[in-house]
Amino acid sequence: MKPFRPEPDSLTYLKEAGRQEGKAQEIIPQETRFRYIGKKIRRVDGSLIVTGKAPYTQDFYFRDLLYGKILRSPHAAAEVVNIDFSAALSHPGVMAAIKLTEGRIRYIGEPVAAVAAVDEDTAEQALKLIKVEYKVLPFVVSEDKARQEGAPQVLDSPNVQKLFEYTRGNIKEGEAQADIIIERTYRTAIEVHHPAETHASIAYWKDGRLTVWDSTQAIFSVRDQLARALNLPASRIRVIKKYMGGGFGSKLGLNDFTLAAALLAREAGRPVKIVMTRRENAYCLGNRPSTLITIRGGAKKDGTLTFLHMKNFTGGGVGRGDRCSEPLMDIYKCPNVLVEEYSVFTNTCASRPTRAPGHVQGTFALESFMEELAAELKMDPLELRRKNYSEKNLGDTGIPYSSKGLLECYRLGAEAIGWSRRNQIPGERKGKIKRGLGMATQIWWGAGVPGTLADLKIYPDGSVEAICGTQDLGTGTRTYIATIIADTLGLEPQDILIKIGDTDYPWAPSSGGSQTTPSVGPAFRDAALKAAERLKAIAAKKLDCSPEKVQIELRRFVNMDNPEKAISFNEVARELRRVTVFHGERGDLPAGFAYNSFGAHFAEVEVDTETGKIKVIKVVAAHEVGRVINRLTAESMVIGGVTQGISASLFEQRLMDDNEGRCVTTNLLDYKIVAFSDIPEIIPIFVDSPDPRINNLGTKGLGEPPRIPVAAAIANAVYNALGIHPRQIPMTPDVILTLLKKEAKP
Amino acid sequence: MRKFSLVQPENLKELVAFLAKADGQRVILAGGTDLFSLLKDEILNPEIIVDLSRLKELFGLRQEKEALRIGALTTISELASSPIVQKNFFGLKQAAQSIGSPQLRNVGTVGGNLCQRPRCWYFRDPLFQCRKKGGSRCFALNGRNKYHAIFGGGICNIVHPSDLAPSLISLEAKIKIASKDGEKEMLLADFFTLPSVSLRQENKLQPNEVLTEVIVPKPSSHLKSTYVKFTERGSWDFALVSVAAAAEVQGDILKKPKFVLGGVAPIPWRLTVFEQMIEGKKIDEKMAAAAALEALKEARPLSENAYKVDLASVLLTRATMSLLSR
Repeated sequence: MKPFRPEPDSLTYLKEAGRQEGKAQEIIPQETRFRYIGKKIRRVDGSLIVTGKAPYTQDFYFRDLLYGKILRSPHAAAEVVNIDFSAALSHPGVMAAIKLTEGRIRYIGEPVAAVAAVDEDTAEQALKLIKVEYKVLPFVVSEDKARQEGAPQVLDSPNVQKLFEYTRGNIKEGEAQADIIIERTYRTAIEVHHPAETHASIAYWKDGRLTVWDSTQAIFSVRDQLARALNLPASRIRVIKKYMGGGFGSKLGLNDFTLAAALLAREAGRPVKIVMTRRENAYCLGNRPSTLITIRGGAKKDGTLTFLHMKNFTGGGVGRGDRCSEPLMDIYKCPNVLVEEYSVFTNTCASRPTRAPGHVQGTFALESFMEELAAELKMDPLELRRKNYSEKNLGDTGIPYSSKGLLECYRLGAEAIGWSRRNQIPGERKGKIKRGLGMATQIWWGAGVPGTLADLKIYPDGSVEAICGTQDLGTGTRTYIATIIADTLGLEPQDILIKIGDTDYPWAPSSGGSQTTPSVGPAFRDAALKAAERLKAIAAKKLDCSPEKVQIELRRFVNMDNPEKAISFNEVARELRRVTVFHGERGDLPAGFAYNSFGAHFAEVEVDTETGKIKVIKVVAAHEVGRVINRLTAESMVIGGVTQGISASLFEQRLMDDNEGRCVTTNLLDYKIVAFSDIPEIIPIFVDSPDPRINNLGTKGLGEPPRIPVAAAIANAVYNALGIHPRQIPMTPDVILTLLKKEAKP
Repeated sequence: MRKFSLVQPENLKELVAFLAKADGQRVILAGGTDLFSLLKDEILNPEIIVDLSRLKELFGLRQEKEALRIGALTTISELASSPIVQKNFFGLKQAAQSIGSPQLRNVGTVGGNLCQRPRCWYFRDPLFQCRKKGGSRCFALNGRNKYHAIFGGGICNIVHPSDLAPSLISLEAKIKIASKDGEKEMLLADFFTLPSVSLRQENKLQPNEVLTEVIVPKPSSHLKSTYVKFTERGSWDFALVSVAAAAEVQGDILKKPKFVLGGVAPIPWRLTVFEQMIEGKKIDEKMAAAAALEALKEARPLSENAYKVDLASVLLTRATMSLLSR
């Protein structure tokens, strides 16, 4: 069979995120008071999760269940000459074995074959019995080496290929107008998703129908891609995901091992479970691509930007890497822009979307550049950003933003961190331990996907079910669904039974790109409004008034003109006489406007100039995401995003051994993720104002935004402390020490 | 992880008798915080695991007239919270508290900490058949070596990760080793062996032996000790460099100073050159820093770990000044 390539890469992902068409649905006015929306609401499933009762994919067990394992290539580049299963298949307990590739192997860990056996140990042993004959080929795993002439060719085309280009105005004109021109180069390392719950799938065939339990961010795209791969009607496939321990983009789309589980299960005639190990997570399930970004740009003395020229070499292994220029093209008013982005292919596994793909790396470069430009201009870096503020997208040359609360983020964030405390000249303070403040701006999409469907079922006994095929990554989807319905129908969140995570339910988009809340929330609001209208009509008859005069209160309907007259929710529901389903849909996005979320982070750091250690003291994260639905989970999202950003800023990098082509950071001791003692005070701030046309709740997504500006804010704070900009992440002590030493002897 | 059989001796006598007669590959299980990852990654593939959890005689601390005796199965948490340790061996307390995370300290043992296997991502990855595992070369030498040795490497560039070992060596601790033939004592400093002496093993423990006790001699009234550890991450991390120091402090003079570095060599690395340079002299920060720089000239960093020399220099100075200020 043809080797499987994971989808989507970050390019298709970005395209999805920017979609818009049609006209607006009516939105809730800003002054509306809610019982739950906008408040801190505890998770409806919180106790299930913390007591270990919530079922995750790995927890499911079925009778006759087999365990699958993947045989992975130990070579970074090779030709598979022959695969011999005879010894493996004659091993007691081995029930099936399949080939996963024929021909070229392009990275270590690429799937070669798979087995299913009665237990995990037997499956492991069977892997060792598969005889694979490889013809080993030359490889290259370092992006720098892959760019050199004569480097082994990774794909059938050159290692460096154009990924994206963009131009507006004329940078030559911009250069002529500039009083100051600077050029800086920034690097970001490869980061690995490492969700707490490793990937897992269970495939179960019955009567020609395939059911897959999958730890995925995208049940519908897994279904559709499985249908194509297995040449099966999509209607014959059902994908289920109940609870999940994070994905960060690594669980978007169909995985090769999920397909393998389906094939093995069909072959063996028994269900097959495949769980990825931490080691597999470390080197063959995707990553955030590296970047090497050079920005050349100029400004007038007053800070007005005259041009920006960005060049990016992005390394996504055998994948195309990330397009990182969106923030630079969009955030600041700038008439002349030139972008050139190139993919650099190496013999490492393909990158996948990673929480704000491209924006994280692009923002690190752009916002570090702005900081360094401000220093050259002897300007307050925040002032430089205000000076180049835009009301329209594409640097004030495109269409207006539907709403933009960035100025307010600047104001609130600066106030909370005490911005005036920063060093006026970077590195001006003396001493071994130096403190500094830095900030960075963020832009993202997250408008939600029109056409998202949701059903609200009301039983004659007054019980209520919310049904949607969305998936909760662990962000609290069930809770805001309950909150929105409760506020619309006069119920309490715990009154509503939430059914999600099943392709047999109404369609919802993948949970990525900060899309879930602004897709699913409005669809349920729509369904609940329809239900409210019907229930009000019934109540009106009982209350002897017109439906407009019926007010919804907690678990009852009241005649506004005669508050003595009221009828309970259950009595009204009884009048429906049967289970009634109300269909909701997330409406269109009116054309002619740009839908973006905004934010600004402010960081305070302390650097030990003798050891190079950076300690983050405080991060203030100000965000504008339209209306905040649940302040508690929104704050958690921000704290999580900032924490992940600190981790990438200070610790995380996938390291490869260039000689062997293998990853050396295959466990969580060597691939370092932030620990509790490194997490500082994090202060989330929201500019809580509904967008006037984005959807009926006026809300934007928050998944990606808090992850985006963290590294730039911290690096800028380090610059403010030391007077030396690190220009790379992670900023480990060896990096900082080397920079300080270089500075000491010029 | 491969299949193994589990043996659970009831007492020390049973244990040493078993170790004397049993053949086949076996490993000793104490806290298991290091062992299990080695088993899961199939770096160690023993046929027998000898679990010590029933050996009551190896648990706990005992204060005697001339020494503090620490049972090999004493947990790191117990050690760190012991009032005797806190009072007399400040450096040992700091070292114990710096280990891993609270969960690891509650399970990990003193004996296990001294006998844990080295850190090296090539050694710990089943895909790399390195010299230490019977292969023909050290991958770190020309590969990724940010965390590797700057002293005592060469043929194999692992680092010894123990925090307790440098500290205990600075306190001139001894260990007790038991076998069917009886018990013997040796200085902990003599326990560890370089790869040039024994490539596959980091210490002198024989297959029929077990480490049963650590003996810390009673400190003189002027003895001060400290442990300075530098990690990338704030917790649950091994030292990039650590310095254990102990000396008799008289004013701003150190007598009989012992400085032992962790995380820089295949064994805890005593820096006698540094000790000689500062012993008996009036010390200030500048003088300590100059001595550290001089003493570290012996270091042989690899392509990616020269920064460890700078760190060691800073930490030696800080440890010295910390002794003087206590």
